[in-house]
Amino acid sequence: MRLLQFQQAEIRFSESFALKDLSVELTAGEHWVFLGANGSGKSAIVAALAGEGQLVAGSVTEQPTTELVSFEIQRQLIEAERDKDDSDITNEVFLGTPVRELLASGNQSITQQLVAEFSLEDKLDRGFRHLSTGETRKLLLIRAIAAEPQLLVLDEPFDGLDVASAAYLLVQLRKLSKTTTIIFALNRLDEIPDWVTQGGVMIEGRLAHQGKWEVEAAYIHQLLQLQRDDLEVPASEVADRVPVLAPGPLVTLHEGRIAYGDSVIFSKLDWQVDPGEHWQVVGPNGSGKTCLLNLITGDHPQCYVNDIQVVGYQRGQGESIWDIKQHIGYVSTALQWEYRVSISLLNVIVSGFYDSIGLYAKATDSQQRIARQWLQLLGLAKRANEPFNRCSYGDQRMLLIARAMVKHPQLLILDEPCQGLDEANRQLVLSLVALICASSETTVLYVNHHAEDRIKGIDRILNMADYN
Amino acid sequence: MANYFNSLPLREQLAQLGKCEFMDPSEFSEGADYLKGKKLVIVGCGAQGLNQGLNLRDSGLDVSYTLRASAIAEKRQSWKNATDNGFTVGTYEELIPDADLVLNLTPDKQHTAVVGEIVPLMKKDSCLAYSHGFNIVEEGMQVREDITVIMVAPKCPGTEVREEYKRGFGVPTLIAVHEDNDPRGEGLALAKAYAAGTGGHKAGVLMSSFIAEVKSDLMGEQTILCGMLQTGSLLCFDKMVEKGVDAGYASRLVQYGWETVTEALKHGGVTNMLDRLSNPAKIRAFDHAEELKDIMRPLYQKHMDDIMSGHFSKTMMEDWANDDVNLLGWRKETGESAFETTAATEAEITDQEFFDHGILMVAMVKAGVELAYETMVSAGIKEESAYYESLHETPLIANTIARKKLFEMNNTISDTAEYGCYLYNHACLPLLGDFMKTIDTDVIGRGLGLNDFSVDNQRLIEVNESLRSHSVEQIGKVLRGYMGAMKKIV
Repeated sequence: MRLLQFQQAEIRFSESFALKDLSVELTAGEHWVFLGANGSGKSAIVAALAGEGQLVAGSVTEQPTTELVSFEIQRQLIEAERDKDDSDITNEVFLGTPVRELLASGNQSITQQLVAEFSLEDKLDRGFRHLSTGETRKLLLIRAIAAEPQLLVLDEPFDGLDVASAAYLLVQLRKLSKTTTIIFALNRLDEIPDWVTQGGVMIEGRLAHQGKWEVEAAYIHQLLQLQRDDLEVPASEVADRVPVLAPGPLVTLHEGRIAYGDSVIFSKLDWQVDPGEHWQVVGPNGSGKTCLLNLITGDHPQCYVNDIQVVGYQRGQGESIWDIKQHIGYVSTALQWEYRVSISLLNVIVSGFYDSIGLYAKATDSQQRIARQWLQLLGLAKRANEPFNRCSYGDQRMLLIARAMVKHPQLLILDEPCQGLDEANRQLVLSLVALICASSETTVLYVNHHAEDRIKGIDRILNMADYN
Repeated sequence: MANYFNSLPLREQLAQLGKCEFMDPSEFSEGADYLKGKKLVIVGCGAQGLNQGLNLRDSGLDVSYTLRASAIAEKRQSWKNATDNGFTVGTYEELIPDADLVLNLTPDKQHTAVVGEIVPLMKKDSCLAYSHGFNIVEEGMQVREDITVIMVAPKCPGTEVREEYKRGFGVPTLIAVHEDNDPRGEGLALAKAYAAGTGGHKAGVLMSSFIAEVKSDLMGEQTILCGMLQTGSLLCFDKMVEKGVDAGYASRLVQYGWETVTEALKHGGVTNMLDRLSNPAKIRAFDHAEELKDIMRPLYQKHMDDIMSGHFSKTMMEDWANDDVNLLGWRKETGESAFETTAATEAEITDQEFFDHGILMVAMVKAGVELAYETMVSAGIKEESAYYESLHETPLIANTIARKKLFEMNNTISDTAEYGCYLYNHACLPLLGDFMKTIDTDVIGRGLGLNDFSVDNQRLIEVNESLRSHSVEQIGKVLRGYMGAMKKIV
């Protein structure tokens, strides 16, 4: 039975981006995976199949009932919460819509089961904005699955999930695939479920290749392989360097604790990071990995009620957060959502010298030159003057990684850096981080959920589950 | 207590009113250092109080919050806001006596009571900061003479104050020192350090006076900001319904229209707002705005005169003393208007359609902004103050109407703004009666519907010249320039 058909369709997503000449037919019982480089239009094609975008040419059959899970949907939900924030008008601080309310629609027995399996029970009465990145992703997945659609469209569903949750999701999706047509957009080839039946490859906004997965898999793999050699981390100018601190630990946390009201995220955490000791921070979603890193960067307000020393400063003794941040490079999903300014790609990288979101100072010639070297490395040199907010999610992520590294900070904090990156970019980031680890100037703190994203040189593990 | 402004000789009144200058960034090279090691205690933990406190602490300052004992005992929301963010919270008695700087961030109307309670507890030679001067200027509050009294007023809502700080920037901020309370001559140093602690120095600081702030703030809020948008909403909605436009559509056009057209105002002034219209529509908007200005000018002058003489605050405070009988009655009326009670249609209206179908709304905003600005400047207020209290703040109220319509808009702005808004509205509705009879749906509700968009070149050049050469546009360009490249939120 035919579920959905696009014929020579042109689907417009913005003034500057449209999918062109799209012809594809979905049959009930098929399961698709769409692959492609960052910026190739993977997210766009699955969004189009979910009924998003504006049809400006060609034809599309009627949309079956559909649910879409994607970063864009996640972003819209965050944006909607921001819009609900009337605190400037009422002068009352806004706590966010309770999770329970966001899960009220859909089949409640499915919802309950998924909530339990995803360990979200104690988060139901919390405000949405207090969920971690992984938890908001779970919430979207639960909503989509509990709606019991005919067509389930999942754009990077495993991104941001801890190992146990990702494994559980995969099992659920396999069961669901008996009754529901599922479409994936994936960056990581190792995440493609073995029951996928059809595959498609996106190249520069076009569906370049499609066919039966078992026949096409090998060819598609080949198409996606990219070679890269002569990798080198661009230098940072001596003039731009922040003075190196006196020797001593970079971070000392004594009996670390984060809590909201009576709900404790973690406690009794003693941790010391010495220069040259690279750490990987692990733990399930909601175990406080990001909170911990934010204590270090100064972005978590409870850093002032913890006994914590960062790059030589005992916090809360008259130092400003800019004193701290000048020694730190930082990337996370939250940062990407907060980086909502329309500046050029070049200036995004330059802003790393100033630790700012946006650029409020005049960049020096050497800073611009170094930023251009980074753009070259990322393959974005030709787009130096384009606005950041028009880049794809993956390109934005690469730029923010370069922003974090550009000043060769003493402490480089990478909170799930590979989220949203295609295979080639992921390899590039992992290689860059390995190079940085091998140099003597930067110490790396690294969070990720994928065992195969281990980085050479990062050999110490902090498991947050020990402190929950 | 007696009106402070009226107690001054004329030359002093004029000098204070005319005070407002942009400070050179080099004056902030010490950042927040002057306050390092001192104890800052904030009274009130709402959106403005919490967000300013977060910034000040991130700038290396020692910040805690004081709340009424009942708010602490009952663990009210303000208590949770402060404790979840890792701040020390205590009663007035516990924290005020040790404070070097007390930041009063409670609503205007509570000032007399709050200041009356905290000043006796304040230690000798400490400092009291306001974010509005009404209590000092209009109510004539006299603060103990050993205490320094300053004002630091970020010109944006609390969440924006925080967001811009986290980006490494700030929001434009007005500072002032109450000269009668500057016993050690350190008021300016304290105000500068406080402004720098909130990040304001990066986006530009205006040095003003308590008097200039109060008189211009009152004028702006009761005329263009709240008054004009309220009167305009009622008139535009009723006109559309009278002429057969769908009421749900009319409600949506008005509710969200102000926000859309003033967003253009925020980025590029009155000029950019009119540039969003087609050429024939621009000329219509311009001509209607000229008519409106001629009709409404005496009303703007009356508001300014009543604010200057103290008549406005006197009658309003009489109503406060009379259990807000007038205010509450007028608020109720607002809730019953046809615009308020007609739900907006769900159907989307595009960005451009708000302009094309809202030509009269654009004209009203232009007329209101320019009249408020011109009247303030002619009364001796500096261009910079007049700009911030008219054009700069209009999008903020427009945003409130988009979220909450008029009744809630009035409910949530300060009581001072609300009282003035009703006075304006009651006078302006009949004043525009004859003008509205000449209006049809081509300028409100349906658009010009022209096949031919041609215009007379000479006329268009005149209109464009006139728009761009207005003083509010010139000063606006300079002040917006300090804000850096306007950051588009995506």
